[in-house]
Amino acid sequence: MGESKNWYLICYDIRDPKRWRQVYKQLEGYGERLQFSIFRCRLTPREREKLRWQLEKILMQEDSLLIVGLCSQCVERVCACNRAGTWPMSEQNFKIF
Amino acid sequence: MEQTVACAETETLRVSSLRAFAYCRRLFYLEEVEELYTQNESVFAGRRLHAELQKLEREDWQEFNLESVALGLRGRVDALRTLEGHLIPYEHKIGRSYRDRQQQPQAWYSDKVQILAYACLLETVLGVTIPEGRIHYHRDNVTVRVPVDDAGRQLVRDTIEQARQLRASLERPPICSNEKLCLNCSLAPVCLPEEGRLAHDPQHSPLRLFPRDDEREIIHVTVGEAVIKRAGEQLRIAIQDEPEQKLPIQQVGQVVIHKFAQITTPAIHLCAHREVGIHFISSGGRYIGSIDNRKGSIQRRIRQYQALTNPDQCLRLAQLLVNCRGQSQRRLLLRGQRNRQDDLPALQDITTQMERLLSTISYASSLEALRGIEGNLAALYFSGLPYLLGDQVPKELRFNGRNRRPPKDPFNALLSFGYGMLLKDVMNAILTVGLEPAFGFYHQPRTQAPPLALDLMEIFRVPLVDMVVIGSINRMQWNLDECFEVRRDHVWLSDYGRRKFIELYEARKGETWKHPVTNYSLTYRRLLELEVRLLEKEWCGEAGLFGKLILR
Repeated sequence: MGESKNWYLICYDIRDPKRWRQVYKQLEGYGERLQFSIFRCRLTPREREKLRWQLEKILMQEDSLLIVGLCSQCVERVCACNRAGTWPMSEQNFKIF
Repeated sequence: MEQTVACAETETLRVSSLRAFAYCRRLFYLEEVEELYTQNESVFAGRRLHAELQKLEREDWQEFNLESVALGLRGRVDALRTLEGHLIPYEHKIGRSYRDRQQQPQAWYSDKVQILAYACLLETVLGVTIPEGRIHYHRDNVTVRVPVDDAGRQLVRDTIEQARQLRASLERPPICSNEKLCLNCSLAPVCLPEEGRLAHDPQHSPLRLFPRDDEREIIHVTVGEAVIKRAGEQLRIAIQDEPEQKLPIQQVGQVVIHKFAQITTPAIHLCAHREVGIHFISSGGRYIGSIDNRKGSIQRRIRQYQALTNPDQCLRLAQLLVNCRGQSQRRLLLRGQRNRQDDLPALQDITTQMERLLSTISYASSLEALRGIEGNLAALYFSGLPYLLGDQVPKELRFNGRNRRPPKDPFNALLSFGYGMLLKDVMNAILTVGLEPAFGFYHQPRTQAPPLALDLMEIFRVPLVDMVVIGSINRMQWNLDECFEVRRDHVWLSDYGRRKFIELYEARKGETWKHPVTNYSLTYRRLLELEVRLLEKEWCGEAGLFGKLILR
């Protein structure tokens, strides 16, 4: 198994402000917001399915959700063909304040 | 003990745990008795499948919560259909079916036990006869029919009986013989089946089922005026005059509070709920304590108490420990010799003496004798350390023997701070695994410091602290005025120096090291946790892997 993590781009379109707010809050716990209603998260398959489950509980039939898995090459290409800083990367797994 | 047994006799089993029993006895034991339960992706995918199926067939979808004390089972039947006057239980599986020799779809053994158990449960509760159960495998879209006959009913009754006996026992069952089952098991990082196989068979080359790295960030808050707050699913760190920093909680592994930064109660709740350890370090760099909600199951601790109240076991483990640390210390000194042109007879003398001492460890007949050897080893090691510092190092940063409480020179201040940080990380690892930090095998219980953490620390002192300190001094990374505060006979790190050290230490922890026995590479961060798990294996019948992390 050896749980590897991958980047995911998560986009949504939600018709109701209440549900939108709930989804937004939930996603904030998993990753960073890149643009309005587009998040990027680095997740294990386990976390991905957990997130999906949590979101599906909130979402209704009329809402849409798109989860795009990105391989490491995809991420490199995202960095290559966009403005600098679109996909900020941190190398360390610690932060000092 | 009596209470648990009595409870186990009256309480019914969940059908899903019966399925776990049929899959792997050890999995059943870890879940039911040790109360470890990690959800892997298929758990959530399965839940979603059920929710979707419910939406599709809203009319005839019903869930039944059933319990039969007589049978000793309880469970929730996925779906129930009436066909030709008979009730048929359905079970939906997200995966694929088992294929027999003729490539015909069949039910997996554990799934078969599960559907038979549902059938028996329905028969007992509703008083009807169930002719068959059906399992739908969604991956290959086939439905497998499992006939319910007397042999099947007997199988369920036998399985329940065996599972109950196992639940009442204190013995953790061995690793299952079918390695393929472990590949998809959600508890593999806890159970460490491959490492267990290695313990029984040194020729076994283990697959790495232990996750390579914990990517969650360790958050150090060194600013005294900072406030750590909760906002929804985020931690927010507010420092005066600076914009708030947002941290998604899923990406936080530990919160380390240096000095007196504040943390709000909602933030503590969030951390406790998400299994994020909160650790406190004093302004002098001493480890104060942790808020940690990750209580291990009592069974693990009982086993720990049983093992560590045995003096022979303690002595054996302590010997491994002293050997591990002493060997690493000696190797470090040898490294210093290797890189120099001129001969260092003094250093050579020290390492030969250390070698002689190390060979006496296995003859030590008591912990006191062992402590004597360790003391001598440490004295020799510290007398050899000054030789590892380059000629460029100024006199103030040189090392003249270990002193502490308070450290009297910058070198000792760095060592002390480093050991404080290491103690914090070892504590975090022990709490994650669920062992009792206050009950060790080598150090004696004293105030403040938890003995098991002090024990385990010995393994990592050289690679994680000593080498970092020596390396950074040789690289001239320390500036006396900026990095240290000197108060007559007390030296400690300034705010700037502390941040610098944390950076060096954390960077070191992110480096990978190939484990000499299991032969796979892990970061030091993971090795800390792996070592605690390997220690637990020492008293669970899979000994032989602990204390092997010796510097090369």
